[in-house]
Amino acid sequence: MPLKRPSVQWPWHGLLALILLGLAIGLWVATKRVNYEWRWARVPQYFFYQAEDTQAAPVAGTINKINPNGAYSQVDITPANGGQAVSLTVETDTLKVKIGDPVAEGDGIGAQRHWKIGPLSWGLWVTIWISFVSGLIGLFIGLITGLCRLSPNPALRGLAVFYIELIRGTPLLVQIFIFYFFIGTVLNLDRIVAGIGALALFVGAYTAEIIRAGIQSIAKGQTEAARSLGMTAAQTMTHIVLPQALKRVLPPLAGQFISLIKDSSLVSVIAITDLTKSGREIITSSFATFEIWFTVALLYLVVTSLLSQLLFWLERRFARSD
Amino acid sequence: MIKVNNLVKVFSGRGKPIRAVDNVSTQVSKGEVVVIIGPSGSGKSTFLRCLNGLEAFDDGQVIIDGVDLGDSKTNINIVRREVGMVFQHFNLFPHKTVFENVTLAQRIVRKRTAAEADAKAMALLNKVGIAEKAPEYPSRLSGGQQQRVAIARALAMDPKVMLFDEPTSALDPEMVGEVLDVMQQLAREGMTMAVVTHEMGFAREVAQRVLFMDAGKILEDAPPAEFFTAPKEPRARAFLKQVL
Repeated sequence: MPLKRPSVQWPWHGLLALILLGLAIGLWVATKRVNYEWRWARVPQYFFYQAEDTQAAPVAGTINKINPNGAYSQVDITPANGGQAVSLTVETDTLKVKIGDPVAEGDGIGAQRHWKIGPLSWGLWVTIWISFVSGLIGLFIGLITGLCRLSPNPALRGLAVFYIELIRGTPLLVQIFIFYFFIGTVLNLDRIVAGIGALALFVGAYTAEIIRAGIQSIAKGQTEAARSLGMTAAQTMTHIVLPQALKRVLPPLAGQFISLIKDSSLVSVIAITDLTKSGREIITSSFATFEIWFTVALLYLVVTSLLSQLLFWLERRFARSD
Repeated sequence: MIKVNNLVKVFSGRGKPIRAVDNVSTQVSKGEVVVIIGPSGSGKSTFLRCLNGLEAFDDGQVIIDGVDLGDSKTNINIVRREVGMVFQHFNLFPHKTVFENVTLAQRIVRKRTAAEADAKAMALLNKVGIAEKAPEYPSRLSGGQQQRVAIARALAMDPKVMLFDEPTSALDPEMVGEVLDVMQQLAREGMTMAVVTHEMGFAREVAQRVLFMDAGKILEDAPPAEFFTAPKEPRARAFLKQVL
């Protein structure tokens, strides 16, 4: 009998499906028990909605003429004090006046609609750009700190260790408060700047350790070969060691940036309207608590999965020389 | 070309300090091929690495082509351009193609133009017989091929001296020959070479002098014919009995 037997997979796939189904049923039963009424229809309007801009009469007068033109209508008003007729364009189905109606100044004639970005989309955008900017700054800080951490100079090394220990040993939430209430007050920083600063410093400390480990993982022979060709320490670092180290630390860096996107939700405590804060605000008006939190979670999941796909693609591209 | 006076290198890790190179003095003249042999741990590699400052020596003097390495005014990077080194484990840059491995230092250290560097690289890769592998990454090459690229990389800097640190020790036996052939050709062209090796055949045929090291000291310094037939030192005799 051969040692390698055809392995039977389908019962395990079946078990997996069963477990997932069980979870779904559990969720459904649980919501039934608390008598929760799902209102998913309320969610889309928080991504995009049609805003109505009320068009008010600029002067008191009489409606002189209504000129329907498809979806829009042109309304002409003859001012009561004589003078030039005023014309407004509104959407036909929002028209509130008829010909001959008297209007006072400020009366609504009708409205114009246009698509607006809802708070969920806006919050998502804020989360993405805050994470992106603080990630970029954090990567830079991490690179510098990682190099300092390996410097033969005790002052640079000490500073790097101090910074890393300080950041890693305190909660991000507390750092954000300190950054906003103390540093932000002293330096008169905008809340967005304070939030980005706190996130960048936080991610920088972790990135520094990742980069340090990456540099240390490159065989000493690489440095020796480069130096033996007459390259300076800096040339060796930029041309030989760092490119290899960065390639090697791409997976842990990806993890760090995915964490950053999730951690950025904490800046909502200093009233930055990111995805999480938007979610909280929407719930106060929509009462669709469960739906909104599930949607918010799903949005974070989408962003982080896209990022991990991107980094996975990068990783494969860099693997060419392996 | 190379002059070494009372060189001392002490390794003081945990435990008691080890004098890896213990008061060594010797010299290598221009165009000379010197082979350094000895049992493992005898300090021969450390000695070789002191010659281009990869090991910071504790005492003594190393003078390469009139430049004192220990002098505080000496820029070690400028000396190293003139001293090529080939390592036991090749140490090719894995993220660069074979071609880039040979051109990189020419560009950033010797400040050559792309055209100059490319022409030089192609000529050298041809010389070591590996031009067809130029666009490949080092991981695609066999050990012998990688070591030949490493030799080309070192030669690209137009060094005055070449140091070889056990260049064939990490190779499969059938690849040793191709590397030794390149080295032999180099010696015929008049390159000054210091070679740490276990290839006694190479020592016998190519070397002008054989240095036998043990416990950080040069115990014997003789032409190969003399050294291999009538070694004076008992340690050398014992060593040769083991390896031949």
